[in-house]
Amino acid sequence: MESSDEVAVEKCRVHLRPGTLRDAACATLHLLPCEVQVNGPAPVERFFTPAIRQGPDGLEVSFRGRRLRGEEVVLPPGLVGYVTVMEEKGEVPVGKDFSEGSSNEDEREELELAEPPEALERDFDQFIGAAASFSRFTLWGLETIPGPDAKVRGALTWPSLAAAIHAQVPED
Amino acid sequence: MDCGNGARARQHVFLLPEYLKDASKKMKSGLIFVKLVNPCSGEGTIYLFNMCQQQLFEIKVFKEKHHSWFINQSVQSGGLLHFATPMDPLFLLLHYLRKTGKEGKFQPLNQVVVDDMFPNCILLLKLPDLEKLLRHVTEEKEIDKKKYYKYSKEKTIKWLEKKVHQTVSALKTNNINVSARVQANAFFSGDQVSSDKEEDYIRYAHGLISDYIPKELSDDLAKYLKLPETSASLPNPPSKKNSKMTAAQKALAKVDKSGMKSIDSFFATKNKKKIGEI
Repeated sequence: MESSDEVAVEKCRVHLRPGTLRDAACATLHLLPCEVQVNGPAPVERFFTPAIRQGPDGLEVSFRGRRLRGEEVVLPPGLVGYVTVMEEKGEVPVGKDFSEGSSNEDEREELELAEPPEALERDFDQFIGAAASFSRFTLWGLETIPGPDAKVRGALTWPSLAAAIHAQVPED
Repeated sequence: MDCGNGARARQHVFLLPEYLKDASKKMKSGLIFVKLVNPCSGEGTIYLFNMCQQQLFEIKVFKEKHHSWFINQSVQSGGLLHFATPMDPLFLLLHYLRKTGKEGKFQPLNQVVVDDMFPNCILLLKLPDLEKLLRHVTEEKEIDKKKYYKYSKEKTIKWLEKKVHQTVSALKTNNINVSARVQANAFFSGDQVSSDKEEDYIRYAHGLISDYIPKELSDDLAKYLKLPETSASLPNPPSKKNSKMTAAQKALAKVDKSGMKSIDSFFATKNKKKIGEI
């Protein structure tokens, strides 16, 4: 949705390919305590991963000469992590039409019934897919392990609170 | 999986409910991100629809200064973490009901949920059990088997009150500290939560709910809940500066504003702009 055409943004629907949620391979994620200004490939496995050590109370590594301390953060139960990527326009994803669903007639029927009459997908819509999944990541702090009051830990408690805010209330 | 292949493609880190993965077996499509009106701010915000199971999800973004991701063999700047959590669609419907409610007429729902700015709002009409939901906030009439609705402020306030109490229970079970009056022994005994007062919980929960309703309704709800008026815009003044404050400032400083925390306090910074970039 990083489109310059604002009008299209309001009307646009971004479809998440459900199949990619099932097939996403497991990814390794690190949350660093610094801003790297670029997006792109990086030889993490060559420089970062081999330097990770198990210290007396947590993991240790260095990045750009600074000492980082970290620990594994496991996602709260009931949540799955995904890394999603926007598809290029015109890209035909594998298995879009024929390779799934068609083998099972009952399932197909169910799908068709569930689909509302007007099309959900339109020509100008965009698509994203899950490229990878994760159930834990490594949280890094500069010099010290991010404590229990680290903001990201607070954020991870949000889904349980949101569930209560948005649960249906009983009728009178 | 080599994410490095994606080269420049922006990667988003998402946390989704696990059941979406299981449900995806039955879907070929039907998970849709759309921009809809934010019922609190009136601005455009991204929501996720699950059209197969007919659910609405809200998207919140965790963003803190100076963070980045290493994702497999790639680097992603920003360190953003997106959360998709189920949302009560009634908050969004309420936005439209209140707008047409000013005319004071009973109207069919497809004439209420209309939006030139955010035409995807029609997806809301596909959600199940809308009739049951609407009973919480509207008066309804049935003519020729067609339903007509009118916004009811009285019913809405009562519905919101139930939401507040529901949230209070969750705050208690999640042991969330709602009090600003942290006492020294809290650092040692660890039973700070037990000293929180019921009123603190209610004010905190009111703050959370207020992120889904317009200011006007939030104020009405505060009155209904008999919460003392507070000045939410002022940050907590550091206590050491007390001596230099005017009498009015001192009076304000005494007011406990801890419960005014909005959901954004879970997410460090305002996320409205970032959300638009998905």
